[in-house]
Amino acid sequence: MASLLSSLRYLLADFIGEDDDTPPFPPDGLPDGAAPVVSEAIHRLIDYQGAGYARLYVERLRRFVGRRDVDAAMFGEIARLMAMRMSYEDPIRIAQQKLAELEIGTGNPRGPSADDVRKFRFDELVGALPAAVAEPVLDVLERLGWTRKRVSIRFSTKSRWGIRRLKIEAGLRRWRLFSVRYARERAWVERWLHMVGRSLAKQPMAASAIVQTADMVQGYGDAYRQGLIDWHAIIDGLAKPTFDGALPLGDLAAAIAEARAAVMPDPRQVALKRVIAEIRARALAAGANAAAG
Amino acid sequence: MDTSHLAEHAGTASSFFASIFVVATLSMRTMIPLRVFGILTNIILIASAIPTRNYPTLVLHAVLLPLNTYRLHQMLQLVRDVKKSVNSDLSMEWLKPFMTERKCAAGEMVFYKDEKAESMFYIVSGRFQLVESGIELPVGAIVGEFGMLSPSNLRTQTLECIEAGVILSVNYTQVEELYVQNPAFGFYFLRLASARLFENIEKLEQRLAQHATPAFAAPRPA
Repeated sequence: MASLLSSLRYLLADFIGEDDDTPPFPPDGLPDGAAPVVSEAIHRLIDYQGAGYARLYVERLRRFVGRRDVDAAMFGEIARLMAMRMSYEDPIRIAQQKLAELEIGTGNPRGPSADDVRKFRFDELVGALPAAVAEPVLDVLERLGWTRKRVSIRFSTKSRWGIRRLKIEAGLRRWRLFSVRYARERAWVERWLHMVGRSLAKQPMAASAIVQTADMVQGYGDAYRQGLIDWHAIIDGLAKPTFDGALPLGDLAAAIAEARAAVMPDPRQVALKRVIAEIRARALAAGANAAAG
Repeated sequence: MDTSHLAEHAGTASSFFASIFVVATLSMRTMIPLRVFGILTNIILIASAIPTRNYPTLVLHAVLLPLNTYRLHQMLQLVRDVKKSVNSDLSMEWLKPFMTERKCAAGEMVFYKDEKAESMFYIVSGRFQLVESGIELPVGAIVGEFGMLSPSNLRTQTLECIEAGVILSVNYTQVEELYVQNPAFGFYFLRLASARLFENIEKLEQRLAQHATPAFAAPRPA
């Protein structure tokens, strides 16, 4: 009977969630001081999605374990920032947090506000649904020109209905890994790790700056979108061409710091694009001079 | 003469006979025998539905018969193609009917080094480069076929699209399903993968030999 149930569970795993909920262990050979960060991240990701997702975190982290070019401080930052990026804020996450706040704050009159209104873009909201459902809806929204429209969502624990709704929203996490948003986030995390890896190989002095760029992408709504386009502008304009050998940038870390200082809440990225263009022009000119002289 | 009772008896007998085939079909472990028995069951149920004038059953099995036949044909063709590939150019073109098309823009990363591998790709057009080794892959190349068989399941290189093009992709789960459903396919697939691996090893050995030769061929002058 148990084996029959186990087979049925395997068959329906995509719909009812994983069978294996054993939490992963932190990888062996962690640098000094990294264990608490990693352990906290594993708990956070189990709470966010499940044990399988925490295992993915451990597997990603293992790429940097035991590397001589990654010191304890850098490893700790990779561990912390990767956990932060892997637990990205979507409406499901906010519902989970609200429910957690309710649990902690029960009976506490000075607890967090019971009512929370957040503004999302339509595409962000629909993107949290499984791709099979979200993609046709996004196509329709695109045709109507509504993808960028904002919608206010109330996350409330004031009433029983509000709590019930939060539980339904938090329950959508079962399908989170099939969502359009997750596919993008997964590609983003892989790209960030790829850039860290390439930096360690090509410009080790800039690796720490590349790691730190992860905190440019945070939150949800417009702030998240702005952070994302700024990050891609810096990586595509400075880091990638340097690693590809197309841009002779001697001090990539300083260039990234200079570009990050020019980041403004401007969707057109005027200041950032100008600074990146200046850095590129300087580097190309210096490279040409070096080649001539 | 009233023949209706004869038709009734014939119908009952053929239904009983067909039931044996239904049980036999469902007890098959792999896809090809299952389809063969499915076809036989369809034929018997069509034949038994005619004398009893059971038209809904007749229509249902008249639809299922070509469907089962077509699926069996697909399976047999797949095994034939993989077998042919093992004995000729080790190509994986036979996978194309199972693949889905994806457009790639210049600069787009198809996959990253150390990422968990979940699918293999066939390059249809455009230019694609393995970032770490700098090797450009030609049109018609298959990438990521070993990721499915390797124990770690991790990508060993990053693949970047350097000129917009089209790739076909197939999920490992789909290939695994073909493998499990059809032991003959599984056997030839393993032979094909091993042959491609041995071919790669041979190429590496040749490269090593090329690097090693000058050291012996041109001794330093005294």
